[in-house]
Amino acid sequence: MPTELPYAADAEVSLSYDELEVLRLQYQRELSQSHVTTQTKFNYAWGLVKSPIREHQVEGVRLLQEIYRAEPTRRRECLYYLALGYYKFGNYEEARRFNSLLMDKEPSNMQAQSLASLIDQRVTREGYIGMALAGGVAAIGTILLASLIRRAARK
Amino acid sequence: MSGDKDKGPVNVKLLLIGNSSVGKSSLLLRFSDEQWLPEDESSATIGVDFRVHKMEVKGRRVKLSIWDTAGQERFRTITSSYYRGAQGIILVYDVANRESFDALPRWYSELETYVSKSVVKIIVGNKVDKEFSRQVTYAEGQRFAERMNSLFIEASAKTSTGVQEAFQQVVERILDTPELWAPAMKKGVGLNSTDGGSMPGSINLSETEGNANEGGGCSC
Repeated sequence: MPTELPYAADAEVSLSYDELEVLRLQYQRELSQSHVTTQTKFNYAWGLVKSPIREHQVEGVRLLQEIYRAEPTRRRECLYYLALGYYKFGNYEEARRFNSLLMDKEPSNMQAQSLASLIDQRVTREGYIGMALAGGVAAIGTILLASLIRRAARK
Repeated sequence: MSGDKDKGPVNVKLLLIGNSSVGKSSLLLRFSDEQWLPEDESSATIGVDFRVHKMEVKGRRVKLSIWDTAGQERFRTITSSYYRGAQGIILVYDVANRESFDALPRWYSELETYVSKSVVKIIVGNKVDKEFSRQVTYAEGQRFAERMNSLFIEASAKTSTGVQEAFQQVVERILDTPELWAPAMKKGVGLNSTDGGSMPGSINLSETEGNANEGGGCSC
């Protein structure tokens, strides 16, 4: 009985307000002492990326990009959570870009594979919605045009 | 999990924990997909991974949501946020790696912080296919498990020895403990909930037992 895939656990569940607050306070404390450890920053960034609030996600992605640049040993998880962050706020192009950087390094990484198909699914779905919208607009346009022509013809 | 007393599936949340490279993801992959990846193709879990698996135990349909946590220290905060609402914990070590066995007490103290006492625990000594480089005997593993009031089994994700049995045993024990899953029963609350929560590198999970996580991704 195979498992239902794809799935990205961290994309689905967000932290409670209190949990995120613990991470934020720790980050703020270290920030005020002007020594932020990578671990603290990463934990906070992760909590932000998981949040349903867009500004949180954006901030999380920003922090992850800083860690990615500064800490080569943390790159793989940064790539993953960057992809996840961009996926969550709907920038599928960037999501794909970061995820495939991870897949280049780890072709059989199943979490990355799973995230890749999640992104594809979302793109397809939104593509359909887009087409439906465009189709709707076109249909209305045709009706309008037809009625204009009819009115013009009557005169 | 509500109201479906007679025929509806029992929802069970399991968590895999243990040091890195002991084979948690491999056990899960063997169990759920009957697959195995050689070491050079498998990669360390990032944060947490998740699978749904349906099985029948003791004539009851059971829907397992299995959370496979990263063993690396750097993900400890992330993984600790997934303990909430678990009914079964699978603690894994590598029989050919003493350090991973010696680390078990630390994993138990983590459990004390995040889950209720009645949660079912099983210790799995993985990689018995490496018999020639074994560093922890069966007896030793079993003795420790007894002391920790936990089930015990040795297994190999590579050869699939003991894998099905490990999951089967936890689930059976959970089904034998209705307070863990039966509706309208309150679940135990983590020991030091509510207050504090500023242990370095950890989130203290207090309120809201269960559902938040479980409903999550599996509308299957």
